[in-house]
Amino acid sequence: MATESSESEEEGKITGGNQHLIVEDDLREMGKKAAWSVSSCKTGNGVSSLRDDNLETYWQSDGAQPHLVNIQFQKKVKLQVVVLYVDFKLDESYTPSKISIRAGDGFHNLKEIKTVELVKPTGWVYLSLSGNDPRETFVNTFMLQIAVLSNHLNGRDTHVRQIKVYGPRPNPIPHQPFQFTSREFITYSTVR
Amino acid sequence: MKLKQLYVLLMRLAERFQMVQLVIIFLALFTGAAKEATVVFSEAAALCIQNQYLHHGLPSPNLHMSSEDYNLVSSRNFGSEDVSPRKLKHTQGNNLRGIPGNHHGAVVLSGAASQPQNGGPSNMSFYNTPSPMASQLSGVAPPPLCRNMQPNGSNLNTVNTDGSPRSIVNSTIQAPRRKFVDEGKLRKISGRLFSDSGPRRSTRLTGDTGANTNANTAAVAGNGTNNSSKYLGSSKLSSVAPRTVTVRKGQSWVNENIEEGIRNEAFDDSCANVASTTSSSFSSDNVRSLDHDGATVLVGGVVVSGAKAVSGASEVLCLLRTLGEGYRLSCLYRCQDALDAYLRLPHRHYNTSWVLSQVGKAHFELVDYLEADLAFSLARQVSPYSLEGMDIYSTVLYHLKEDMKLSYLTQELISTDRLAPQSWCAMGNCYSLQKDHETALKIFHRAVRLNSRFAYAHTLSGHEYVALEDFENGIKSYQNALRIDSRHYNAWYGLGMIFFRQERFEFSEHHFGMALQINPCSSVIMSYLGTTLHALKKSEDAIKIMDRAILADRKNPLPMYQKANILMSLEKFDDALEVLEELKEYAPRESSVYALMGKIYKRRNMHEKAMLHFGIALDLKPSATDVATIKAAIEKLHVPDELEDNLSTE
Repeated sequence: MATESSESEEEGKITGGNQHLIVEDDLREMGKKAAWSVSSCKTGNGVSSLRDDNLETYWQSDGAQPHLVNIQFQKKVKLQVVVLYVDFKLDESYTPSKISIRAGDGFHNLKEIKTVELVKPTGWVYLSLSGNDPRETFVNTFMLQIAVLSNHLNGRDTHVRQIKVYGPRPNPIPHQPFQFTSREFITYSTVR
Repeated sequence: MKLKQLYVLLMRLAERFQMVQLVIIFLALFTGAAKEATVVFSEAAALCIQNQYLHHGLPSPNLHMSSEDYNLVSSRNFGSEDVSPRKLKHTQGNNLRGIPGNHHGAVVLSGAASQPQNGGPSNMSFYNTPSPMASQLSGVAPPPLCRNMQPNGSNLNTVNTDGSPRSIVNSTIQAPRRKFVDEGKLRKISGRLFSDSGPRRSTRLTGDTGANTNANTAAVAGNGTNNSSKYLGSSKLSSVAPRTVTVRKGQSWVNENIEEGIRNEAFDDSCANVASTTSSSFSSDNVRSLDHDGATVLVGGVVVSGAKAVSGASEVLCLLRTLGEGYRLSCLYRCQDALDAYLRLPHRHYNTSWVLSQVGKAHFELVDYLEADLAFSLARQVSPYSLEGMDIYSTVLYHLKEDMKLSYLTQELISTDRLAPQSWCAMGNCYSLQKDHETALKIFHRAVRLNSRFAYAHTLSGHEYVALEDFENGIKSYQNALRIDSRHYNAWYGLGMIFFRQERFEFSEHHFGMALQINPCSSVIMSYLGTTLHALKKSEDAIKIMDRAILADRKNPLPMYQKANILMSLEKFDDALEVLEELKEYAPRESSVYALMGKIYKRRNMHEKAMLHFGIALDLKPSATDVATIKAAIEKLHVPDELEDNLSTE
């Protein structure tokens, strides 16, 4: 349904950040089905800190820029939103500043779909992957790569505390062309 | 004075008969009564027995049998025998009455073995010997004295033919009535005595419980409704008979017992004829005579008599029968019939927590969630701490998407019982409604750990696995549920759904078929079976089932929608549009209906209508995926369908 269009580079500045993670009801977290890897990390601050639902722990990179977080799925999935938790007050020069999101079939095939600049963010930052075209609400891809191109205050390494990836919920009723919206339909749609 | 006359009479009678020796000895053994009393009463007892047999022309075997009964365990005959002698002594033995009643319960409950003993003592009680033994033995309550041997004889006859329960019942009924305390009172209320009143309150009460238990055991002993009604009828018969007899005799209890006996017998026979009528008529008779009797009760305020006990027992049995009928029908998933059965209950029994939960469950199976909600909430009002059926209630609320009610219910259930699987099922449903399937899964696992034989918890965790797209574990969970309860149609449905998703349509058809076999009134299962059949290319069968589903539940819009889908894929666009137009009336705010109609118009190349419907569909705020689909469809309105379909894959 959604096409795999590669978006043109879109520069956007995002300031601030939400304290609470709120996503729409028809989205669900897709990260559990993916393999997460990072380009480099300091001992004790590895990739697992990105997925532990703990905002105290963070991933700290330990190499050259750009620092990469790779998310690989076993099959093509539709993704709509990427959410990061970064905090300038805590991390200062470790806080990412420029972030590029790439998608593709694998490492050889990644294409940038979004670029964004963060300005002193504190909290959850939402990065929507949708394009302008309504048909491009989702990115249908095998792999997603989040690249931290630069940090605040020109820091070398970066701290990211949490990353979540969201995609649409599948139709609860299989082989249905459209999902049901009204209560009458939903009530009768399944047996529980 | 009167007593003396009776004594004399009895002595005279005793002279004529010689078979009493055994009886006398037996009675003497059992009762620790005073010698003279023993002698007199034993003779009288023997007399009674002999009269009883005489009148009915019973051959000696009967007597033999009765004596055997004394020795044997068959309390029934004993009871009837006891009745007769006791009746004779009714006038004399206030104490006698007292005794039987008390022992009634004790004796009957203790079983047949005690019966013979009862017979003995009760007879003795006749003889004004307030021996505790006698009273304890009156399991077979002697009938009111006014009721002479004749009824006993007939009872004996019937007992021989019918079965023990009846005589037991008879005797038990009569026991309470015999509980007159002292002679003074007896004289005072002698007239009313025979109208089956006056037993001492305590004795009456104990006798009543005994009678109740007797009647219950009697009824229970008879398997099947026929038996029970028969026994009830017979018990009522016996209760009625003595009463009427007593009434009649009230005036002339001084008369010879034999006469009374004859009258009793006649009445008894006539009653026996009526025994075949339904218990209800009997109960009404009983009630009437009871009222009559009750009015004359002097002793104590509780109008507890044997007849009333019987009618009470029969009412209880009626009630249990209705409840059982309703439960049986709901287990067969004939939910409408079950509901009708429950409606036949009297009001105050209907408004109990168990019945209301069953009613709610029946509505739930009929996919009538609003009614189910009503019934369950009433059940919770009536009994807020009952947990049974509350897991179904939580599912009902889940279906109705009432998250606030559901969370409230969950809180209450958890605070009522933290270790009940139902409470955790409710909580899991709550989280599932919030689309937090992982937490819901954890909670359902907890419920399973609390009680691994709780099939519904397994089914619900299966649903959560499916929502998380973990089909392997889902299949395992559903199979666990089915291992516990193979009639759990939700698990069959769940397996069918998994196979449907995996496109293993034959499996899915089989499982949906099993689910439908178990619960044939669920329109949801029918509609899914229809879609499966359509996927298997058996489209005519699919349409047939869809029509069945539509008929089964007019409030369910889904079968119509699926039917339209099928018709569209069969290229019967007009029929599909017709169905969808009808569906618009039922669910005017359902975007998928308009989206589908737009799609059909697009196929028919009626672009303006398609555009209109797509627009409406978008206005109704479908999900993001559908928005994308619909917008894509709008843009491609003028592109041929093949291209469109390629682009808009599901």
